[in-house]
Amino acid sequence: MQPITLKGRRIVEGQCKAEALVSKKPISFLGGVDPADGKIIEKGHELCGECVKDKVLCFPHGHGSTVGSYVLYSLAKKNLAPKAIINQTADPVVVVGAIIANIPMIDQIDIKQIETGDLVEVNACKGIVKILKRRES
Amino acid sequence: MQRHCEDFEKKGELKRLHLTKEEERIYDGEFGWANQICMKILVRLGELFNATKLIPISSAHVSGVSYKTLGDAPTDFLEAIANAGVKTSVKATLNPHGIDKEYLCKKLSSDICKKQWQILEYFNKMGFKNSLTCTPYYLEKPRHGAHLAWAESSAVVYANSVIGAWTNREGGPSALAAAIIGKTPDYGVHKTENRQPKVLVNVETSLRNETEFGALGIFLGKILEDKIPVIQGLQGASQDHLKQLGASLASTGMVNMFYRNNRKVKVNELEKISVEKEDIRRAMEELTTTATQKPDLIFIGCPHCSLREIRQIADCIGTRKVKAETELWICTSRFIKEKAWKYTEKIEQSGAHIITDTCAVVTWTDKLGIKTIMTNSAKTAHYAPTLNKAEMTLTPLKDCLETAFKG
Repeated sequence: MQPITLKGRRIVEGQCKAEALVSKKPISFLGGVDPADGKIIEKGHELCGECVKDKVLCFPHGHGSTVGSYVLYSLAKKNLAPKAIINQTADPVVVVGAIIANIPMIDQIDIKQIETGDLVEVNACKGIVKILKRRES
Repeated sequence: MQRHCEDFEKKGELKRLHLTKEEERIYDGEFGWANQICMKILVRLGELFNATKLIPISSAHVSGVSYKTLGDAPTDFLEAIANAGVKTSVKATLNPHGIDKEYLCKKLSSDICKKQWQILEYFNKMGFKNSLTCTPYYLEKPRHGAHLAWAESSAVVYANSVIGAWTNREGGPSALAAAIIGKTPDYGVHKTENRQPKVLVNVETSLRNETEFGALGIFLGKILEDKIPVIQGLQGASQDHLKQLGASLASTGMVNMFYRNNRKVKVNELEKISVEKEDIRRAMEELTTTATQKPDLIFIGCPHCSLREIRQIADCIGTRKVKAETELWICTSRFIKEKAWKYTEKIEQSGAHIITDTCAVVTWTDKLGIKTIMTNSAKTAHYAPTLNKAEMTLTPLKDCLETAFKG
């Protein structure tokens, strides 16, 4: 397929290529993601049970306690962090988390264009997300 | 190290914050990893909210201190940053943590207490004072017009609205970064144009006690969105009443400040809201989830009690004794407890517990077997059903004390 290029705004620099994990709903890192294994544990969340490790994690924005920023740091320290974060709208909790955990981050991306399982390339320096390959159905 | 990627100034990118030479050096890592990360937090948040520069602050107040709300994960970051040797560069205070030395420490597991002391040690290592209160303004009142970086939403509203200082509602990590750097980005209510009222609220009923002021805050928080109100009809409101109003306003809403009868404002140009007696009654009713007359805990002190409130409680108790099998907590800061020792001794003689450094919301009431809580605080009634898994009764101080002492 021809890669699809989406342009957003750089929040934290960095580059990577990995599989996307997409949530239509916001994610709260405090109480929503288990810092011990990187799995989403928020009850009733569409990604409940999925692991964020090494994924390009796409979600509209964060919510919940500002302590959630520290959870991203803890995940990174245990090698359980996402490879990149793609948001519709950056909010302080996720931005601070991405900074302290050093996770490449872009916002102002229409995340509806990306599906879970897609292979995506993130160039956060340029604020670009490229969908390289659609998930095999 | 290059501060940003080359194509930074392109359209759609974050707008660059102006940094002084020294700030630039911190950003580039000349003063180590921990200072760099704190600077990066401030710069990126500033860019996100269209700040143009960093401004000096006179104090920082950090939330996210209780192990109950933090959990295990954040200690990794606190440990790393404390061990990197950074120090606070302005007066820096801490929100309540999860235990107190005299009473709860003996009732909760040693594992919990150990973890809590560890967190506190990291903060102390960075130079934070053990204020452990949500009312840092009683320890030292900020100057009128001073810029602050405070987390703890109730203190933010109080500082902006009652004291006349200027602070955004910081998160735990951004307040920590501000405490280390001693600065904050100039966005939000640090700018005059963002402190303009947008709504005129007419309170058409006279509020009779602190709990009704709290209920007003709960009601307004839900409908104001981020619009700063001028609230008329608060005649006779004490600072303690306004503390309750602000605390609950921040619990349900985004607003960080309110005005009272501001003569400078052209009220004709504002959107208007009127609050009736029925609105207050309904707000209180919605926050009460149990009708029990034998609550497992009666809790006063959210936000932490002022000296005046402690005196009021002591006067109200007189020589009475708390009835058997009743748990009454009066929460305040260690600072106020020591200052009000004449009254706190009297209160403790009644069988009530003066608890410092923590409160019912940030300690483990569920581990103490507490399933029902009676309080005069609308903020607690709003949060405790989820944070403490407790059923609530919201009623004024007088009724709370009657319940503790009658029979």
